[in-house]
Formats: sequence, C-alpha cells, structure tokens
Amino acid sequence: METFIEVDHHQCPKGSYRMEGDIFLSKKILPENRVISVLSDGLGSGVKAGVLSTLTATMAITCMAGNVPIERAAQIIHQTLPVCSERRIRYATFTIVDVRGNQEVRILEYDNPPYVLIRDGEIVEVQKTVARLPSRYGRKTTISLSSFVAKPGDRIIVFSDGVVQSGIGTPAMPLGWGTEGVKKFLQEVVQRDPTLSARELAHTVVRKSLWNDALEAKDDITCGVLYFRNPRRALVLTGPPVAIERDKELASIFSVYRGKRIICGGTTATILARELGKQVRVCLQNIDPEVPPASEMEGADLVTEGILTLGKTAELLDGNLQGRTHRPSTKNAAYLLMEQLLNSDIVDFVVGTRINEAHQDPSMPMELEIRRNIVKRIAQLLEERYLKEVHIQFI
Amino acid sequence: MELLKNARNIHVVICSGTTCYLMGASELFGIEKVLEESLASRINLEGSPCMNLCKGGSYGKAPFVKVNDTLISTATIPKVVEEIRRQASL
Repeated sequence: METFIEVDHHQCPKGSYRMEGDIFLSKKILPENRVISVLSDGLGSGVKAGVLSTLTATMAITCMAGNVPIERAAQIIHQTLPVCSERRIRYATFTIVDVRGNQEVRILEYDNPPYVLIRDGEIVEVQKTVARLPSRYGRKTTISLSSFVAKPGDRIIVFSDGVVQSGIGTPAMPLGWGTEGVKKFLQEVVQRDPTLSARELAHTVVRKSLWNDALEAKDDITCGVLYFRNPRRALVLTGPPVAIERDKELASIFSVYRGKRIICGGTTATILARELGKQVRVCLQNIDPEVPPASEMEGADLVTEGILTLGKTAELLDGNLQGRTHRPSTKNAAYLLMEQLLNSDIVDFVVGTRINEAHQDPSMPMELEIRRNIVKRIAQLLEERYLKEVHIQFI
Repeated sequence: MELLKNARNIHVVICSGTTCYLMGASELFGIEKVLEESLASRINLEGSPCMNLCKGGSYGKAPFVKVNDTLISTATIPKVVEEIRRQASL
C-alpha cells in the first residue's frame, strides 16, 4: 500500500497573548524522500518565547537536513539562543521527528512531554536511549533518542507542556491533564474514528486542552501529528481547454478520477455540465462581496468561480492560517476550497489554458491574474508550507 | 388557485462568473431586499456559474442578468427592478 505522511498541527497562545511561544515546523526534502518536523517550546510566552522557539526549530530542521551530528546540533542551538533578560538563561525545548523513505523514524526529544505513537488503535511504547550532552553551561542536558519503522496507519503525536498541564488547579483535574490523561484521550479519539486526519486530531487535542483550561489557556498549547496514511486525493479542474475538441477529454478526466472532484471556473463548470449532462446550481446563501458563490453539481464535491476564488484561496493559504483557531467569519467558496485542499494529501490540478478575453479588458476595476500563475502559487504553498504533493497538468 | 399559479412567475438569473462578479454582480444578489413584498414573492432568483456572454462584446458589457427572456447588460439594481416591474405589469 502506498503511504503518505500527513503532517499538521494546531495551536493556541497562552491567555491573552496574540502570538504563541511554541512552534511546530515541518520540512519535506523531496530528493531524499524525507520529512522532518520539529516542535519547540520557548522559555516564557509571547513574542520573546516565539523568537526562541522559532530559532530553535529552524536551526534544528536545518541541522537535521544537513545531517549535522546531534551533539553538534544541540551545541549550535544552545550557543545561538539569546539569554532571557529575566531569567538569565537560554532555553527552548524541542522534539525532532525525522522520517526517511516514508517509514524509518528517528525521534529526538529534549525536555518536551514524551511523544505518543499509536498503532492499530493501541499506544506503542518505544524503547528510548538517553544521551547526555556535554554540560558546558552548568545545566545537565539529556536528550532521549528512539527509532522505529512506521507502519501504515501509524500516528506520531507530539505536544507541548501546555497540553499536559492544561486544567491544572481546576477541581476536575487539580494536577492537570497529565501524560496518562492525554494518552487515554488520544487512544479513545482514534478508536472512535480510525481514519481521523492529522489535521483533525491535532485540532481535537488543542480544543480539549483549551476546555480543560476553561477556555483561557494557562500556557501555549500546541499539538503536532504525523499520520502515515493512504493518500487522500483531490482533483481541481480550472479553466476551459485550449481547444473545444478537448472538452471531452476534460470531462473524462473528471469522470474517472478517484478522490474529491473540484471545479474552479464558471465556464469550466458549464463545459462539464454540458459534457456530462448535469445541472449546475448556484448556492445563493451567504453571498460574499469579494468571492462569487459556490455551486452544486452532481458528482462534484465543490464548484466555484475561477480566478477570484483561486486568488483568495492563495491569500488564505499564504496567511499563517495553519494551526490557528481563527476562522473567517463567512465560509465563502475560497474558504471551502482551502478546506478541501488542506484535507487532501495529493492534489492534481488540471489547468485549461484558453484565455478569457473578457478578463483582458483594461476597464476592469482590478487586474485579473493569469490562471496558471495563481495555480502555481497555490501549488507552491501547498507543497512547501503544507507538505502536500501537487501535480499540475495543462490542457 | 389563480394566485398560486401566478406566484413566482418571474425568473431572474444573475451571472456570477468572474467578469460579472467583478463588475458588480455581488450587489445584484440583494435584489429581493429592495423589492416590495408583492413583487419579491413573485420572483424566482437563480445564479448562473457563467452565461458566457462577456466574450466578444456583442451582448454588451458585464454584469449580465436575465429577467425571463430579457437580457440586461451592464445590469444595476434599478435597471433590473425596472424590468421586473415591467414584466409584472404585463
């Protein structure tokens, strides 16, 4: 079975802070078929902690990608971190998950709560070795290392102490949620929904932690999940084919596709409806001034307008949306498209290259971007920031 | 029975393709709000993914609205309301 690693996270800052002090960063190195994720928790909260954790995670990823020995990497990180003005120490925790060939997993942990591995609905305890790093700076520094071969369906869950300590001091859980509490919860959630995505699981954990804290986080709460799953695919058809003779080809790509089927473009939708003998109905609820309404067509999971919607979706994907609880007030078509893309692992774009001359009218109130360019921008965002696999085909 | 048969007999289609939307179709979707109840209840509002009229310019300019079989180009709320009234009085 083909496996794909779905990586996603969710987080929420402490109390009234606007920025998290934790970070979850991931990088995919395609030529090596490798995925590296890092969770780091910076000392304190807010911007200062965010800087510490971002520095740590970025350095950790770069060192791992460059195959720098672990001890050396830890040293580099330690020497680079700025000293906290209040506490006079340099400190940020980290957990590094390094996966090669979609299965060989190596995990390095430094002071974060231990990661959880769930396989076939059960929690698997992985043997860890503890390595002591030279304690040149007066702190004992131990790192725990573990490695295993992942199986399809495995989930690796990493989280910050804001999750484990959530609920602390409340009558329901005076000592906080605790590692055991989190494990039990994860197992229950996964057993209830065995194909739950990494995205949803991370979200669920953060939501529960926040509830434990009575909706005001006592610390930064972050959860990252790597899910080894059978890839979920989505097809996005946008733009009419260069020649009318190829309309049938477009329709057949649509019909035979196995996965979510999305159409972005009024003309494209009209062509498919004609070729497949279907009706397209525009949904008139929630009319958004900037994004044209979505439509419905039998056999399609989403039908939207083209250029404006794609442009807005690119904007949404580009904004640091990932991992945030913040949601736009209206669920317009661009938002729905973004959701479909983020819920998929592999996205196949089929871009029609016929130019719509009406879009070239200089009296238009705004410039309409060329379809190919927007699709390329979305593809780049999906690949680099959201670790998706994207294919683009022109017709 | 006669009243029921006449109800909702004006079919209004608003194009929500890229060009039309950019040229103001989003406002046109609010048309029911500006019509008096007796007229609003008679119209059947629908969107079209693209009526394919913006190309070439032979139909005029976007946004396009159809009120039954009458095509309105460079459509505005007053123009569409006027056409609805005209057809309602037929």
